Amino acid sequence: MTALGKLFRTTTFKLTLVYLTVFALFAAFLLGYFALNTRRLITEQITDTVNAEITGLSEQYRLGGIRRLVLVVDARARRPGSSLYLVTTFNGDSLAGNVTALAAGILDSPGWTETVYRRLDEAESANRPEHEALVRVFQLPGGFRLLVGRDLEERERLYHIVLAAGRWSVAIVIVLGLGGGLFVSRRVLRRVDAMTETTKTIMAGDLSERLPVAGTGDEIDRLAQNLNAMLERIEALMQGLKEVSDNIAHDLKTPLTRLRNRAEQALRSAHNDAEYRAALDATIEESDGLIRTFNALLMIARAESGQAREDMSEFDAAEIAHDIGELYEPLAEEKGIALKVEADAPAPVKGNRELVSQALANLVDNAIKYAEPQAGAVNGVAPEIVVRALASGDRIMLTVADTGPGIPEADRAHVVERFVRLESSRSQPGSGLGLSLASAVARLHGGELTLEDNHPGLKSVIALPRGGPLQSAG
Amino acid sequence: MPTYADIQGTRAAGRTADAQPDRVTMRLLIIEDDRDAADYLVKAFREVGHVADAANNGEDGLAIALDGEYDVLIVDRMLPKRDGLSVIGTLREKGIETPALILSALGQVDDRVKGLRAGGDDYLPKPYSFSELLARVEVLSRRRGTRNEETVLRVGNLELDRLSHQVRRGEEEISLQPREFRLLEYLMQHAGQVVTRTMLLENVWDYHFDPQTNVIDVHISRLRSKIDKGFSQPLLHTVRGAGYMIRDGAR
Repeated sequence: MTALGKLFRTTTFKLTLVYLTVFALFAAFLLGYFALNTRRLITEQITDTVNAEITGLSEQYRLGGIRRLVLVVDARARRPGSSLYLVTTFNGDSLAGNVTALAAGILDSPGWTETVYRRLDEAESANRPEHEALVRVFQLPGGFRLLVGRDLEERERLYHIVLAAGRWSVAIVIVLGLGGGLFVSRRVLRRVDAMTETTKTIMAGDLSERLPVAGTGDEIDRLAQNLNAMLERIEALMQGLKEVSDNIAHDLKTPLTRLRNRAEQALRSAHNDAEYRAALDATIEESDGLIRTFNALLMIARAESGQAREDMSEFDAAEIAHDIGELYEPLAEEKGIALKVEADAPAPVKGNRELVSQALANLVDNAIKYAEPQAGAVNGVAPEIVVRALASGDRIMLTVADTGPGIPEADRAHVVERFVRLESSRSQPGSGLGLSLASAVARLHGGELTLEDNHPGLKSVIALPRGGPLQSAG
Repeated sequence: MPTYADIQGTRAAGRTADAQPDRVTMRLLIIEDDRDAADYLVKAFREVGHVADAANNGEDGLAIALDGEYDVLIVDRMLPKRDGLSVIGTLREKGIETPALILSALGQVDDRVKGLRAGGDDYLPKPYSFSELLARVEVLSRRRGTRNEETVLRVGNLELDRLSHQVRRGEEEISLQPREFRLLEYLMQHAGQVVTRTMLLENVWDYHFDPQTNVIDVHISRLRSKIDKGFSQPLLHTVRGAGYMIRDGAR
């Protein structure tokens, strides 16, 4: 497509054309109406004047006969700018007046006629009679005829001026309109072309590109800004996906390798049933661990994709705090940790009860793992975990506070990511996905998971908007 | 999902590892399109004394289920020719109430809800352990005419009154926390049957997720210390590689 062809196809240009046509038609109509009315007005004036003169002259004739009429007509005809007069006898001989060279047969038909004429005082020029007039022929008693008329030059001139003005204004409207249309279309086209170019780069795989924003705040800018926000989100998702696949590759391959090694080892060196059995038991244990990791990953992916938003209902977060506390209390006690639940007031919230329970369970599970008193450690504080649920403003806070070693501030944002376990805790069992899952669940609900210092220990807070995700996430 | 190591590590496991459930022969229909998996299940069920048939697609499965008398159907969620849920739905429409357990690779909460809504009686996500499947199928097969309506449950000299919420062992009154009561109630409802940790978590706590750590074991050991401590004949047994079972060992 040629550049011009492309220009002509733009919406802006097409719109300009439509407007142009409408305006031109309107201007033409307006001027035409004006011209016609002017013409009619002038004609009316002429007929009024002529009628008045005829009335006056026939009065003169009635009073003084033909002689008087001839005298009056002669006198009037000589005045500058006078009307046109002609008085004839019954058979058409001229008695008085200032016109000649009338169209043939004019005098035979009484009433209004348009005719060519020439004034008597004008030289009979080479060209034919050049004037036009509107005349009225009047039959006087006694066979005389009286013709009175006015020149039409003025009317024609005005008419032509208006016509010319009309033609010019339409032409100017078209030229300016086309020019303006082309200018605006080109501007818009240039910006859209720039956006198209960027989009092509993005489609080719460079997700870091952004659409140009002119800064004018117009609709194209707003579109570009929204598309940019969308790209931002897509890029983040792609980045997340990449990290997930990297992490999966790393963290699933490790246990898979162990699994394989163990089976191989058993084949090579097991001597009796008991040893084979032990190897098989270990294999099953290892695969159960893998399945667990895999399930957690799927759950996170599902929470992050927002699918689980369909299963949301109203439930009491305080009840969940009690339930999960009750579920883990024996385990904590067995490990010498006091687990307390502080959730006295109801904290109603809209969400996925199962997922929120699981998120809280993960936090408690983590807390038990890390708050476990280690030999010779724990700054003289009796290990304790407190689970709280409280409503604060339009949010519900589910808090798990432990007195364990805590997490250094610099690492806190980091540990929420998938699979990340701090180096110092690599020896602990677990898939390392507990915090990631809790964080994904919080975000699914339009809330967030934050990690704070419990002085000493770690305080994990799941904050959820009461009304569910739509209220805050939009 | 409990691992073998968890089970081995459980307190008192050695004491009762030889406990055997009261097994009654069941007739099972396995509708599963993966032939290897179906063969494995048929063989495994036969080994523990049940009779199992297999169908490899939804249409065949429906036809066989309509013809034969089965105690439990094991239905894969995604099947060729006819979806697993549709098989169960059609059977229910025809008034056939054979308990059905749905196997699914999807394993999400809403998927489970869909399965149960379609007329399934239980749901197990893949991959599953055979002991888990076996325990659930055995519970399903005996669900009809079970002890759901009885107000007093008895195992040996252990007695649980569901109305007054009283538990006695012999002459001795045992005081239980509400959750311990429900745990014992569920175990006693299925006396003589293996109950897995996930079944307990689902039915006693109403959670369908994997709690990573074996929280259930600790609850069981607390319960055990309340009902078995000081008695020569233990009632609450650990079944290696599967779960727990309450039964009167003296019988």
